[in-house]
Amino acid sequence: MSEIICLDRVSLWRRTQEEFSYDLKKTVLSFMEGKYHEPARKLILDDINLLIRSGEKIAIIGANGAGKSTLLKVICGILKPTQGQVRVKGKIAPLIELGAGFDGDLSVLDNIVLYGVMLGFSRKEMHRRAASILKFAALEEYSYIPVKALSSGMSARLGFAIATDVQPDILILDEVLSVGDEIFKRKCKQRIDNFWNGNTTVLFVSHSLDAVRANCQRAIWLDRGKIQFIGNAQEAVHYYLASTHQNPEHQNSEAELHPV
Amino acid sequence: MEFLHRNGSPPIQVQRLQVQRYWDLTYALVIRNLKVRYRGSFLGVYWSLMNPLIMTVIYTAIFGKVFGSTTYIQLTDHPMINYSLTAFTGLIVINFCAASTSQALTSVVNNGALLNKISLPPSVFPVSAVMANVFQFAVSTLPLLIIISLITSKSLLNALALLVPFTGLVGTCAGLGLIVSGLYVFFRDLPYLYELVISMLWITSPVFYPAEIVPENIQPILMLNPLYSVIKSIRQIALSGGLPDSDLMINSLLSGLIILAIGWTCFYRWQPQYMDLL
Repeated sequence: MSEIICLDRVSLWRRTQEEFSYDLKKTVLSFMEGKYHEPARKLILDDINLLIRSGEKIAIIGANGAGKSTLLKVICGILKPTQGQVRVKGKIAPLIELGAGFDGDLSVLDNIVLYGVMLGFSRKEMHRRAASILKFAALEEYSYIPVKALSSGMSARLGFAIATDVQPDILILDEVLSVGDEIFKRKCKQRIDNFWNGNTTVLFVSHSLDAVRANCQRAIWLDRGKIQFIGNAQEAVHYYLASTHQNPEHQNSEAELHPV
Repeated sequence: MEFLHRNGSPPIQVQRLQVQRYWDLTYALVIRNLKVRYRGSFLGVYWSLMNPLIMTVIYTAIFGKVFGSTTYIQLTDHPMINYSLTAFTGLIVINFCAASTSQALTSVVNNGALLNKISLPPSVFPVSAVMANVFQFAVSTLPLLIIISLITSKSLLNALALLVPFTGLVGTCAGLGLIVSGLYVFFRDLPYLYELVISMLWITSPVFYPAEIVPENIQPILMLNPLYSVIKSIRQIALSGGLPDSDLMINSLLSGLIILAIGWTCFYRWQPQYMDLL
Protein backbone atom coordinates (compact mmCIF):
# COMPACT_ATOMS: atom_id res chain seq x y z
CA MET A 1 0.00 0.00 0.00
CA SER A 2 1.40 3.37 -0.98
CA GLU A 3 1.25 6.50 1.11
CA ILE A 4 -1.53 8.80 0.00
CA ILE A 5 -1.36 11.59 2.55
CA CYS A 6 1.87 12.77 4.08
CA LEU A 7 2.23 15.63 6.55
CA ASP A 8 5.78 16.57 7.34
CA ARG A 9 6.30 18.74 10.45
CA VAL A 10 3.20 20.78 9.74
CA SER A 11 2.47 23.77 11.94
CA LEU A 12 -0.25 26.32 11.48
CA TRP A 13 -0.52 29.71 13.09
CA ARG A 14 -3.71 31.69 12.75
CA ARG A 15 -4.89 35.09 13.85
CA THR A 16 -6.86 34.91 17.03
CA GLN A 17 -10.48 35.83 16.79
CA GLU A 18 -10.40 39.01 18.88
CA GLU A 19 -7.63 40.48 16.74
CA PHE A 20 -9.83 40.81 13.67
CA SER A 21 -9.25 44.26 12.32
CA TYR A 22 -11.93 44.88 9.78
CA ASP A 23 -11.57 48.59 9.52
CA LEU A 24 -9.29 50.84 7.53
CA LYS A 25 -10.27 53.89 9.53
CA LYS A 26 -9.40 52.24 12.84
CA THR A 27 -6.12 50.87 11.52
CA VAL A 28 -4.99 54.24 10.17
CA LEU A 29 -5.99 56.02 13.39
CA SER A 30 -4.26 53.46 15.58
CA PHE A 31 -1.14 53.90 13.44
CA MET A 32 -1.26 57.65 13.97
CA GLU A 33 -1.73 57.24 17.70
CA GLY A 34 1.12 54.76 17.79
CA LYS A 35 -1.10 52.04 19.18
CA TYR A 36 -0.82 49.76 16.20
CA HIS A 37 0.58 46.32 16.83
CA GLU A 38 0.90 43.20 14.74
CA PRO A 39 -2.14 40.97 15.10
CA ALA A 40 -1.67 38.24 17.67
CA ARG A 41 -1.35 34.72 16.37
CA LYS A 42 -2.13 31.41 17.90
CA LEU A 43 -0.61 28.02 17.22
CA ILE A 44 -3.46 25.83 15.99
CA LEU A 45 -1.53 22.83 14.70
CA ASP A 46 1.76 22.05 16.36
CA ASP A 47 4.36 20.03 14.49
CA ILE A 48 2.10 17.39 12.99
CA ASN A 49 3.74 14.38 11.35
CA LEU A 50 1.33 12.03 9.70
CA LEU A 51 1.53 9.29 7.13
CA ILE A 52 -1.64 7.73 5.79
CA ARG A 53 -1.54 4.83 3.37
CA SER A 54 -3.99 4.28 0.57
CA GLY A 55 -7.14 2.50 1.69
CA GLU A 56 -6.77 3.23 5.38
CA LYS A 57 -9.77 4.29 7.46
CA ILE A 58 -8.57 6.75 10.03
CA ALA A 59 -10.53 8.53 12.72
CA ILE A 60 -9.56 11.82 14.29
CA ILE A 61 -10.75 12.28 17.85
CA GLY A 62 -10.27 14.97 20.43
CA ALA A 63 -12.03 17.69 22.34
CA ASN A 64 -13.74 20.64 20.69
CA GLY A 65 -11.17 23.12 19.48
CA ALA A 66 -8.40 20.55 19.43
CA GLY A 67 -7.80 21.29 15.75
CA LYS A 68 -9.60 18.35 14.13
CA SER A 69 -11.43 20.35 11.47
CA THR A 70 -8.37 22.52 10.93
CA LEU A 71 -6.29 19.41 10.28
CA LEU A 72 -8.84 18.25 7.70
CA LYS A 73 -8.77 21.67 6.05
CA VAL A 74 -4.98 21.53 5.81
CA ILE A 75 -5.19 18.09 4.21
CA CYS A 76 -7.82 19.37 1.73
CA GLY A 77 -5.56 22.29 0.81
CA ILE A 78 -8.05 24.88 2.07
CA LEU A 79 -5.54 26.14 4.62
CA LYS A 80 -1.86 26.33 3.84
CA PRO A 81 0.50 25.36 6.66
CA THR A 82 2.72 28.07 8.14
CA GLN A 83 5.58 25.59 8.30
CA GLY A 84 6.10 22.13 6.94
CA GLN A 85 4.83 20.29 3.93
CA VAL A 86 1.62 18.55 2.94
CA ARG A 87 1.60 15.98 0.15
CA VAL A 88 -1.66 14.51 -1.05
CA LYS A 89 -2.14 12.15 -3.98
CA GLY A 90 -5.52 11.65 -5.55
CA LYS A 91 -8.94 13.20 -5.60
CA ILE A 92 -10.45 14.36 -2.35
CA ALA A 93 -14.18 14.45 -1.70
CA PRO A 94 -14.59 16.87 1.19
CA LEU A 95 -17.94 16.29 2.82
CA ILE A 96 -17.77 19.32 5.05
CA GLU A 97 -20.92 21.39 5.59
CA LEU A 98 -22.90 19.83 2.79
CA GLY A 99 -25.12 22.13 0.81
CA ALA A 100 -23.26 25.32 1.64
CA GLY A 101 -21.58 26.83 -1.39
CA PHE A 102 -24.45 26.69 -3.82
CA ASP A 103 -25.60 29.78 -5.66
CA GLY A 104 -29.26 30.13 -4.76
CA ASP A 105 -30.14 32.04 -7.92
CA LEU A 106 -28.79 29.40 -10.28
CA SER A 107 -30.72 26.33 -11.34
CA VAL A 108 -29.97 22.93 -9.85
CA LEU A 109 -28.33 21.86 -13.11
CA ASP A 110 -26.07 24.94 -13.27
CA ASN A 111 -25.10 24.40 -9.66
CA ILE A 112 -24.14 20.80 -10.36
CA VAL A 113 -21.73 21.95 -13.07
CA LEU A 114 -20.36 24.86 -11.02
CA TYR A 115 -19.88 22.80 -7.86
CA GLY A 116 -18.27 19.97 -9.82
CA VAL A 117 -15.83 22.34 -11.50
CA MET A 118 -14.92 23.76 -8.11
CA LEU A 119 -14.26 20.23 -6.85
CA GLY A 120 -11.87 19.80 -9.77
CA PHE A 121 -13.86 18.09 -12.51
CA SER A 122 -14.16 19.47 -16.03
CA ARG A 123 -17.33 21.13 -17.28
CA LYS A 124 -17.86 18.49 -19.94
CA GLU A 125 -17.59 15.72 -17.43
CA MET A 126 -20.10 17.41 -15.13
CA HIS A 127 -22.61 17.83 -17.96
CA ARG A 128 -22.28 14.13 -18.67
CA ARG A 129 -22.72 13.15 -15.04
CA ALA A 130 -25.54 15.56 -14.21
CA ALA A 131 -28.22 12.93 -14.91
CA SER A 132 -26.82 10.36 -12.51
CA ILE A 133 -26.34 13.02 -9.83
CA LEU A 134 -29.93 14.23 -10.18
CA LYS A 135 -31.10 10.65 -10.02
CA PHE A 136 -29.20 9.86 -6.85
CA ALA A 137 -30.39 13.05 -5.15
CA ALA A 138 -33.93 12.25 -6.41
CA LEU A 139 -34.22 15.79 -7.78
CA GLU A 140 -34.89 15.03 -11.45
CA GLU A 141 -38.01 17.19 -11.62
CA TYR A 142 -36.12 20.10 -10.09
CA SER A 143 -33.26 20.44 -12.56
CA TYR A 144 -34.29 23.87 -13.87
CA ILE A 145 -35.48 25.25 -10.56
CA PRO A 146 -33.23 27.70 -8.66
CA VAL A 147 -31.53 26.11 -5.68
CA LYS A 148 -33.00 28.66 -3.27
CA ALA A 149 -36.39 27.06 -3.93
CA LEU A 150 -35.14 23.74 -2.54
CA SER A 151 -35.50 22.79 1.10
CA SER A 152 -32.29 22.63 3.14
CA GLY A 153 -32.50 18.84 3.20
CA MET A 154 -32.77 18.75 -0.58
CA SER A 155 -29.74 20.97 -1.09
CA ALA A 156 -27.72 18.85 1.34
CA ARG A 157 -28.75 15.81 -0.69
CA LEU A 158 -27.56 17.55 -3.83
CA GLY A 159 -24.23 18.41 -2.22
CA PHE A 160 -23.67 14.85 -1.15
CA ALA A 161 -24.66 13.49 -4.57
CA ILE A 162 -22.23 15.78 -6.41
CA ALA A 163 -19.30 15.18 -4.08
CA THR A 164 -19.65 11.40 -4.12
CA ASP A 165 -20.78 10.71 -7.70
CA VAL A 166 -17.33 9.45 -8.61
CA GLN A 167 -15.53 7.24 -6.14
CA PRO A 168 -12.95 9.55 -4.57
CA ASP A 169 -9.46 8.44 -3.58
CA ILE A 170 -9.86 10.20 -0.26
CA LEU A 171 -13.13 10.76 1.52
CA ILE A 172 -13.29 13.35 4.26
CA LEU A 173 -16.17 12.90 6.64
CA ASP A 174 -16.68 15.72 9.09
CA GLU A 175 -19.76 15.51 11.32
CA VAL A 176 -22.07 12.52 11.26
CA LEU A 177 -24.01 12.39 8.05
CA SER A 178 -27.54 13.19 8.94
CA VAL A 179 -28.82 14.77 5.75
CA GLY A 180 -32.19 14.34 4.21
CA ASP A 181 -34.98 11.99 5.09
CA GLU A 182 -34.78 8.36 6.09
CA ILE A 183 -34.74 7.04 2.53
CA PHE A 184 -31.88 9.31 1.58
CA LYS A 185 -29.97 8.58 4.75
CA ARG A 186 -30.04 4.92 3.85
CA LYS A 187 -28.78 5.67 0.34
CA CYS A 188 -25.98 7.81 1.78
CA LYS A 189 -24.98 5.15 4.19
CA GLN A 190 -24.92 2.57 1.43
CA ARG A 191 -22.70 4.71 -0.75
CA ILE A 192 -20.35 5.50 2.10
CA ASP A 193 -20.24 1.82 3.01
CA ASN A 194 -19.24 1.06 -0.56
CA PHE A 195 -16.39 3.52 -0.37
CA TRP A 196 -15.54 2.23 3.05
CA ASN A 197 -15.24 -1.32 1.82
CA GLY A 198 -13.44 -0.29 -1.35
CA ASN A 199 -10.00 1.18 -1.72
CA THR A 200 -11.00 4.69 -0.70
CA THR A 201 -8.99 6.27 2.08
CA VAL A 202 -11.37 7.63 4.68
CA LEU A 203 -10.67 10.39 7.17
CA PHE A 204 -13.38 10.45 9.72
CA VAL A 205 -14.01 13.04 12.41
CA SER A 206 -16.54 11.89 14.90
CA HIS A 207 -17.64 12.42 18.43
CA SER A 208 -19.25 9.02 18.45
CA LEU A 209 -16.44 6.97 19.92
CA ASP A 210 -18.46 3.80 19.41
CA ALA A 211 -18.50 4.40 15.68
CA VAL A 212 -14.76 5.06 15.73
CA ARG A 213 -14.03 1.81 17.54
CA ALA A 214 -16.34 -0.18 15.30
CA ASN A 215 -15.21 1.19 11.94
CA CYS A 216 -11.62 2.37 12.04
CA GLN A 217 -8.37 0.52 12.38
CA ARG A 218 -6.35 3.56 13.29
CA ALA A 219 -7.16 6.73 15.11
CA ILE A 220 -5.44 10.02 15.80
CA TRP A 221 -5.98 11.68 19.15
CA LEU A 222 -5.49 15.40 18.81
CA ASP A 223 -5.21 17.68 21.79
CA ARG A 224 -4.65 21.43 21.55
CA GLY A 225 -3.12 21.12 18.11
CA LYS A 226 -0.72 18.35 19.00
CA ILE A 227 -0.94 14.70 18.11
CA GLN A 228 -1.02 12.88 21.43
CA PHE A 229 -1.35 9.44 19.98
CA ILE A 230 -1.58 7.69 16.63
CA GLY A 231 -2.30 4.03 16.39
CA ASN A 232 -4.82 1.39 17.18
CA ALA A 233 -8.29 2.91 17.40
CA GLN A 234 -9.20 1.10 20.61
CA GLU A 235 -6.09 2.39 22.34
CA ALA A 236 -6.55 5.92 21.04
CA VAL A 237 -10.11 6.07 22.36
CA HIS A 238 -8.94 4.63 25.65
CA TYR A 239 -6.20 7.24 26.10
CA TYR A 240 -8.48 10.04 25.05
CA LEU A 241 -11.16 8.99 27.52
CA ALA A 242 -8.60 8.61 30.27
CA SER A 243 -7.36 12.14 29.67
CA THR A 244 -10.85 13.57 29.98
CA HIS A 245 -11.22 11.94 33.38
CA GLN A 246 -7.92 13.30 34.61
CA ASN A 247 -8.32 16.90 33.52
CA PRO A 248 -11.23 18.71 35.09
CA GLU A 249 -10.84 21.42 32.43
CA HIS A 250 -12.05 18.92 29.87
CA GLN A 251 -15.31 18.31 31.68
CA ASN A 252 -17.31 19.75 28.84
CA SER A 253 -15.72 17.62 26.20
CA GLU A 254 -18.02 15.55 24.09
CA ALA A 255 -16.76 12.30 25.57
CA GLU A 256 -18.67 13.24 28.68
CA LEU A 257 -21.72 14.11 26.69
CA HIS A 258 -21.65 10.82 24.85
CA PRO A 259 -20.81 8.31 27.54
CA VAL A 260 -19.66 5.06 26.04
CA MET B 1 -2.99 14.26 -9.47
CA GLU B 2 -0.45 15.22 -6.89
CA PHE B 3 0.09 18.60 -5.43
CA LEU B 4 2.35 20.27 -2.96
CA HIS B 5 0.87 22.86 -0.71
CA ARG B 6 4.07 24.61 0.20
CA ASN B 7 7.73 24.94 -0.59
CA GLY B 8 9.03 24.47 -4.10
CA SER B 9 7.11 24.82 -7.32
CA PRO B 10 5.16 21.79 -8.52
CA PRO B 11 6.29 19.73 -11.51
CA ILE B 12 5.43 20.84 -15.05
CA GLN B 13 2.46 18.59 -15.72
CA VAL B 14 0.90 19.64 -12.43
CA GLN B 15 1.37 23.28 -13.41
CA ARG B 16 -0.41 22.63 -16.69
CA LEU B 17 -3.24 20.97 -14.78
CA GLN B 18 -3.44 24.00 -12.52
CA VAL B 19 -3.69 26.35 -15.50
CA GLN B 20 -6.44 24.17 -16.99
CA ARG B 21 -8.29 24.15 -13.67
CA TYR B 22 -7.92 27.90 -13.29
CA TRP B 23 -9.40 28.39 -16.74
CA ASP B 24 -12.30 25.97 -16.04
CA LEU B 25 -13.04 27.75 -12.79
CA THR B 26 -12.96 31.20 -14.36
CA TYR B 27 -15.22 30.04 -17.17
CA ALA B 28 -17.73 28.48 -14.78
CA LEU B 29 -17.75 31.56 -12.55
CA VAL B 30 -18.21 33.95 -15.49
CA ILE B 31 -21.19 31.86 -16.62
CA ARG B 32 -22.59 32.00 -13.09
CA ASN B 33 -22.06 35.74 -12.98
CA LEU B 34 -23.83 36.37 -16.27
CA LYS B 35 -26.65 33.91 -15.62
CA VAL B 36 -27.44 35.42 -12.26
CA ARG B 37 -27.33 38.90 -13.73
CA TYR B 38 -29.51 38.30 -16.75
CA ARG B 39 -31.70 35.37 -15.69
CA GLY B 40 -32.08 33.87 -19.13
CA SER B 41 -32.91 37.06 -21.02
CA PHE B 42 -30.10 37.48 -23.50
CA LEU B 43 -31.16 41.01 -24.39
CA GLY B 44 -30.32 41.94 -20.81
CA VAL B 45 -26.71 42.31 -21.93
CA TYR B 46 -27.75 45.30 -24.01
CA TRP B 47 -29.34 46.90 -20.99
CA SER B 48 -25.80 47.80 -19.92
CA LEU B 49 -25.64 50.21 -22.89
CA MET B 50 -28.43 52.27 -21.36
CA ASN B 51 -26.24 53.95 -18.80
CA PRO B 52 -23.56 55.37 -21.14
CA LEU B 53 -26.16 56.31 -23.77
CA ILE B 54 -28.32 58.24 -21.33
CA MET B 55 -25.31 59.93 -19.78
CA THR B 56 -24.06 60.89 -23.24
CA VAL B 57 -27.37 62.58 -23.98
CA ILE B 58 -27.26 64.47 -20.69
CA TYR B 59 -23.65 65.56 -21.06
CA THR B 60 -24.27 66.64 -24.65
CA ALA B 61 -27.29 68.66 -23.61
CA ILE B 62 -25.35 70.41 -20.86
CA PHE B 63 -21.80 70.74 -22.21
CA GLY B 64 -22.23 70.18 -25.94
CA LYS B 65 -22.52 73.85 -26.72
CA VAL B 66 -19.56 74.92 -24.64
CA PHE B 67 -17.10 72.16 -25.49
CA GLY B 68 -18.43 71.02 -28.85
CA SER B 69 -16.29 73.33 -30.91
CA THR B 70 -13.13 72.78 -28.86
CA THR B 71 -13.31 68.98 -28.78
CA TYR B 72 -10.07 67.22 -29.52
CA ILE B 73 -11.68 65.44 -32.43
CA GLN B 74 -13.29 67.46 -35.23
CA LEU B 75 -15.03 64.61 -36.96
CA THR B 76 -18.03 66.34 -38.48
CA ASP B 77 -19.09 69.90 -38.98
CA HIS B 78 -21.61 69.48 -36.27
CA PRO B 79 -20.12 70.28 -32.83
CA MET B 80 -22.91 68.47 -30.95
CA ILE B 81 -22.18 65.17 -32.74
CA ASN B 82 -18.44 65.60 -32.19
CA TYR B 83 -19.05 66.19 -28.53
CA SER B 84 -21.47 63.33 -28.02
CA LEU B 85 -19.13 60.81 -29.67
CA THR B 86 -16.21 62.04 -27.59
CA ALA B 87 -18.25 61.85 -24.40
CA PHE B 88 -19.57 58.39 -25.28
CA THR B 89 -16.13 56.90 -25.89
CA GLY B 90 -14.96 58.23 -22.54
CA LEU B 91 -18.07 57.10 -20.69
CA ILE B 92 -17.88 53.47 -21.81
CA VAL B 93 -14.31 53.24 -20.54
CA ILE B 94 -15.01 54.76 -17.14
CA ASN B 95 -18.22 52.75 -16.80
CA PHE B 96 -16.42 49.53 -17.56
CA CYS B 97 -13.78 50.32 -14.98
CA ALA B 98 -16.22 51.36 -12.26
CA ALA B 99 -18.51 48.36 -12.76
CA SER B 100 -15.86 45.67 -13.07
CA THR B 101 -13.68 46.82 -10.18
CA SER B 102 -16.53 47.34 -7.75
CA GLN B 103 -17.88 43.88 -8.57
CA ALA B 104 -14.39 42.48 -8.06
CA LEU B 105 -14.02 44.34 -4.76
CA THR B 106 -16.55 42.24 -2.83
CA SER B 107 -15.90 39.00 -4.71
CA VAL B 108 -13.34 37.36 -2.44
CA VAL B 109 -15.15 38.19 0.80
CA ASN B 110 -18.52 37.19 -0.64
CA ASN B 111 -17.13 33.79 -1.53
CA GLY B 112 -15.38 33.36 1.82
CA ALA B 113 -17.68 30.53 2.87
CA LEU B 114 -16.81 28.68 -0.31
CA LEU B 115 -13.08 29.23 0.20
CA ASN B 116 -13.48 27.64 3.63
CA LYS B 117 -15.03 24.54 2.10
CA ILE B 118 -13.17 23.83 -1.11
CA SER B 119 -9.57 24.52 -2.01
CA LEU B 120 -9.75 27.23 -4.68
CA PRO B 121 -7.32 29.90 -5.85
CA PRO B 122 -8.95 33.07 -4.40
CA SER B 123 -7.90 35.19 -7.38
CA VAL B 124 -10.43 33.46 -9.65
CA PHE B 125 -13.19 35.50 -8.02
CA PRO B 126 -11.99 39.02 -8.90
CA VAL B 127 -10.66 37.79 -12.25
CA SER B 128 -13.99 36.23 -13.22
CA ALA B 129 -15.87 39.34 -12.06
CA VAL B 130 -13.82 41.41 -14.49
CA MET B 131 -14.11 38.77 -17.23
CA ALA B 132 -17.90 38.78 -16.98
CA ASN B 133 -17.77 42.50 -17.74
CA VAL B 134 -15.38 41.86 -20.62
CA PHE B 135 -17.92 39.50 -22.16
CA GLN B 136 -20.69 42.03 -21.68
CA PHE B 137 -18.59 44.78 -23.23
CA ALA B 138 -17.55 42.56 -26.12
CA VAL B 139 -21.13 41.79 -27.18
CA SER B 140 -22.76 45.16 -26.52
CA THR B 141 -20.40 48.15 -26.55
CA LEU B 142 -17.49 46.90 -28.63
CA PRO B 143 -19.57 46.24 -31.80
CA LEU B 144 -20.88 49.78 -31.58
CA LEU B 145 -17.36 51.11 -31.23
CA ILE B 146 -16.20 49.00 -34.17
CA ILE B 147 -19.02 50.36 -36.35
CA ILE B 148 -18.08 53.92 -35.43
CA SER B 149 -14.42 53.26 -36.28
CA LEU B 150 -15.33 51.65 -39.60
CA ILE B 151 -17.48 54.61 -40.54
CA THR B 152 -14.92 57.24 -39.59
CA SER B 153 -11.74 55.54 -40.85
CA LYS B 154 -13.13 53.18 -43.52
CA SER B 155 -10.29 50.88 -42.51
CA LEU B 156 -10.42 47.44 -40.93
CA LEU B 157 -7.10 48.18 -39.28
CA ASN B 158 -8.74 50.71 -36.94
CA ALA B 159 -11.42 48.24 -35.94
CA LEU B 160 -8.77 45.66 -35.06
CA ALA B 161 -6.54 48.22 -33.35
CA LEU B 162 -9.34 48.94 -30.86
CA LEU B 163 -8.44 45.64 -29.21
CA VAL B 164 -5.09 47.03 -28.05
CA PRO B 165 -6.34 49.86 -25.79
CA PHE B 166 -9.20 47.58 -24.74
CA THR B 167 -6.68 44.96 -23.60
CA GLY B 168 -4.94 47.73 -21.68
CA LEU B 169 -8.26 48.63 -20.09
CA VAL B 170 -8.92 45.00 -19.08
CA GLY B 171 -5.43 44.76 -17.59
CA THR B 172 -5.93 47.98 -15.63
CA CYS B 173 -9.29 46.86 -14.26
CA ALA B 174 -8.09 43.34 -13.44
CA GLY B 175 -5.10 44.80 -11.60
CA LEU B 176 -7.23 47.30 -9.68
CA GLY B 177 -9.83 44.57 -9.02
CA LEU B 178 -7.21 42.24 -7.55
CA ILE B 179 -5.85 44.97 -5.29
CA VAL B 180 -9.21 46.13 -3.95
CA SER B 181 -10.61 42.61 -3.52
CA GLY B 182 -7.51 41.66 -1.51
CA LEU B 183 -7.65 44.82 0.59
CA TYR B 184 -11.35 44.33 1.27
CA VAL B 185 -10.53 41.11 3.14
CA PHE B 186 -8.60 43.20 5.67
CA PHE B 187 -10.61 46.42 5.61
CA ARG B 188 -14.35 46.02 5.44
CA ASP B 189 -14.96 49.76 5.22
CA LEU B 190 -13.12 49.90 1.90
CA PRO B 191 -16.23 50.32 -0.33
CA TYR B 192 -16.80 53.83 1.05
CA LEU B 193 -13.26 54.80 0.31
CA TYR B 194 -13.37 53.15 -3.09
CA GLU B 195 -16.36 55.25 -4.09
CA LEU B 196 -14.11 58.25 -3.57
CA VAL B 197 -11.42 56.67 -5.73
CA ILE B 198 -13.97 56.04 -8.50
CA SER B 199 -15.11 59.67 -8.29
CA MET B 200 -11.49 60.76 -8.57
CA LEU B 201 -10.97 58.57 -11.63
CA TRP B 202 -14.18 59.95 -13.07
CA ILE B 203 -13.32 63.62 -12.70
CA THR B 204 -9.67 63.24 -13.73
CA SER B 205 -10.58 61.33 -16.89
CA PRO B 206 -11.30 63.75 -19.72
CA VAL B 207 -14.73 62.22 -20.24
CA PHE B 208 -17.02 65.20 -20.53
CA TYR B 209 -14.44 67.96 -20.89
CA PRO B 210 -11.61 68.24 -23.40
CA ALA B 211 -8.22 67.61 -21.79
CA GLU B 212 -7.01 70.88 -23.31
CA ILE B 213 -9.00 73.04 -20.88
CA VAL B 214 -6.97 71.72 -17.94
CA PRO B 215 -4.13 74.11 -16.92
CA GLU B 216 -0.80 72.93 -18.26
CA ASN B 217 0.84 72.48 -14.87
CA ILE B 218 -1.99 70.19 -13.78
CA GLN B 219 -2.01 68.08 -16.95
CA PRO B 220 0.90 65.79 -15.88
CA ILE B 221 -1.17 64.83 -12.82
CA LEU B 222 -3.99 63.70 -15.08
CA MET B 223 -1.52 61.39 -16.78
CA LEU B 224 -1.34 59.43 -13.51
CA ASN B 225 -4.89 58.32 -14.18
CA PRO B 226 -4.46 54.90 -15.81
CA LEU B 227 -7.66 55.36 -17.84
CA TYR B 228 -6.36 58.56 -19.43
CA SER B 229 -4.18 56.81 -22.00
CA VAL B 230 -6.87 54.20 -22.75
CA ILE B 231 -9.52 56.85 -23.44
CA LYS B 232 -7.10 58.86 -25.54
CA SER B 233 -6.12 55.86 -27.64
CA ILE B 234 -9.69 54.64 -28.17
CA ARG B 235 -10.77 58.12 -29.23
CA GLN B 236 -7.87 58.45 -31.61
CA ILE B 237 -8.61 55.07 -33.23
CA ALA B 238 -12.39 55.33 -33.32
CA LEU B 239 -12.95 59.03 -34.00
CA SER B 240 -9.92 60.65 -35.64
CA GLY B 241 -10.37 58.89 -38.96
CA GLY B 242 -6.60 58.54 -39.29
CA LEU B 243 -4.40 55.50 -38.87
CA PRO B 244 -4.09 54.14 -35.32
CA ASP B 245 -1.42 55.99 -33.35
CA SER B 246 1.01 53.34 -32.13
CA ASP B 247 2.43 55.49 -29.31
CA LEU B 248 -0.99 55.93 -27.74
CA MET B 249 -1.72 52.22 -28.18
CA ILE B 250 1.53 51.13 -26.60
CA ASN B 251 1.03 53.58 -23.72
CA SER B 252 -2.40 52.22 -22.89
CA LEU B 253 -1.34 48.60 -23.24
CA LEU B 254 1.79 49.04 -21.14
CA SER B 255 0.07 50.89 -18.32
CA GLY B 256 -2.58 48.14 -18.24
CA LEU B 257 0.01 45.38 -18.06
CA ILE B 258 1.98 47.19 -15.35
CA ILE B 259 -1.10 47.66 -13.19
CA LEU B 260 -2.07 44.02 -13.74
CA ALA B 261 1.40 42.89 -12.65
CA ILE B 262 1.26 45.07 -9.53
CA GLY B 263 -2.25 43.85 -8.69
CA TRP B 264 -1.33 40.21 -9.18
CA THR B 265 1.81 40.56 -7.04
CA CYS B 266 -0.04 42.30 -4.20
CA PHE B 267 -2.89 39.80 -4.26
CA TYR B 268 -0.57 36.82 -4.00
CA ARG B 269 1.61 38.47 -1.39
CA TRP B 270 -1.41 39.06 0.86
CA GLN B 271 -3.02 35.73 0.07
CA PRO B 272 -1.57 33.67 2.97
CA GLN B 273 -3.45 35.93 5.38
CA TYR B 274 -6.86 35.81 3.71
CA MET B 275 -8.10 32.57 5.20
CA ASP B 276 -7.67 33.80 8.78
CA LEU B 277 -10.11 36.62 8.06
CA LEU B 278 -12.72 34.93 5.90
